[in-house]
Amino acid sequence: MIPVLVVTGFLGAGKTTLLRRLLRDPEWADTAVVVNEFGEVALDHALVAASDDTLVSLSTGCLCCAARGDLAETLLDLRRRRDAGEVPRYARVVVETSGLADPAPILHALATDAAVAETHRLLSVVALVDAARGAAALDRHPEARRQAMLADRFVLTKTDLAPGAEAALAARLGALNPAAPVLAAAHGAVPPKWLLTPGTHGEAGPEALAAWLDAVGGHAAEHSPGLAAVAIEREAPLAAAALALWMQGLAEHAGERLLRLKGVVRLVEAPDRVLAVHAIGHVAHPPQWLEGWPSGDRRSRLVVIGQNIPRHFPARLLAAVEAEVAEEAGRAASPGSGQPAFGR
Amino acid sequence: MTPPELRALVSDSLALWGVAAAVSVAKDGVALLAPDGTPLRVRPAGVEERPVRWWLERPGQRRPCTSVLGLLRGLRNAVGAGEAANARRLRVAIPGA
Repeated sequence: MIPVLVVTGFLGAGKTTLLRRLLRDPEWADTAVVVNEFGEVALDHALVAASDDTLVSLSTGCLCCAARGDLAETLLDLRRRRDAGEVPRYARVVVETSGLADPAPILHALATDAAVAETHRLLSVVALVDAARGAAALDRHPEARRQAMLADRFVLTKTDLAPGAEAALAARLGALNPAAPVLAAAHGAVPPKWLLTPGTHGEAGPEALAAWLDAVGGHAAEHSPGLAAVAIEREAPLAAAALALWMQGLAEHAGERLLRLKGVVRLVEAPDRVLAVHAIGHVAHPPQWLEGWPSGDRRSRLVVIGQNIPRHFPARLLAAVEAEVAEEAGRAASPGSGQPAFGR
Repeated sequence: MTPPELRALVSDSLALWGVAAAVSVAKDGVALLAPDGTPLRVRPAGVEERPVRWWLERPGQRRPCTSVLGLLRGLRNAVGAGEAANARRLRVAIPGA
């Protein structure tokens, strides 16, 4: 039986950071990873440092909804390839859900798909909760509450960004799920052994888990209305100033509707390098230069996940800002000349 | 930016701010009616007017804007959807700071 660890947590809770750190640990080297992302353009899988052979990106839909069957197929296909020697002989699977996934239907699929249940067993469900924004997510999004209610254990992340918030948040989580222990961890620093300990869901066995999920309404996922992911893909590099102004404009005008922004970008100023950017709500994390492009795709890709954000607003704003930045660059290069910002 | 592109951006922005207002392409810009009935117009500034890029006009008033972000901020205030207490400026998270 192959143990399956489900890592969940709301958008920006730090799931990818945790995974990247875990996979660097020798104890977790023999781990296959299944990453599910919300939206048609997947980026997280590119940022998880794992073997290409044992890393599967499921971007065909939300894992708890459209792609539920895909998870079972993916697990079985991975196992078949493992047994055939086509991929390294991994010892466990980590499923990273999207930040908007309700874990219940995922657990249901693990417990009730006969072929999966014969060959895999749930190890535990770990829910990551952002110490700075977790309380707001629990207030506003049913997905965050479901993730908390179904967890075997909690990891409080980004505690360095919200000193003093731990106790109140841990109490809130305790009210939702009294049996789940809480561990505070900054920068994904979780003891690997702690995560390898079976949780109560896993120990109960698939039949008990399925019965419990039925009792809590585990078949259908509940989602916040108006959630959508919008992707912008670009062949041409972006000016750094345009990128910064665009992010500022999005944060300013989308406000709390902006849940997550992430991307890999090629800049005009450094076209041979790749920059990873991401923001949780209106808080941007320092951009990072990656060692190389995470895949053969060299296009800049930006993904905006939000609630009731007009679908074309991000791209239209970017185009407007870029035009102005390009005009300024042109004026700086040729003083006295300039292009009108408004085409006639 | 062409007038239809400007109209699309302004329409999206109004939707984002929760303001119901129809935007139309007008001569040399776009026009709309604020919820309080004030007619508003956005015009591009001429190259010779740089650093001004946009003019946000209402009867008896003409506000210069040096960028599209400045224009959207001004327009948001003009339609009564100013961010004020709900301001969400981009912040940068610096671990340990």
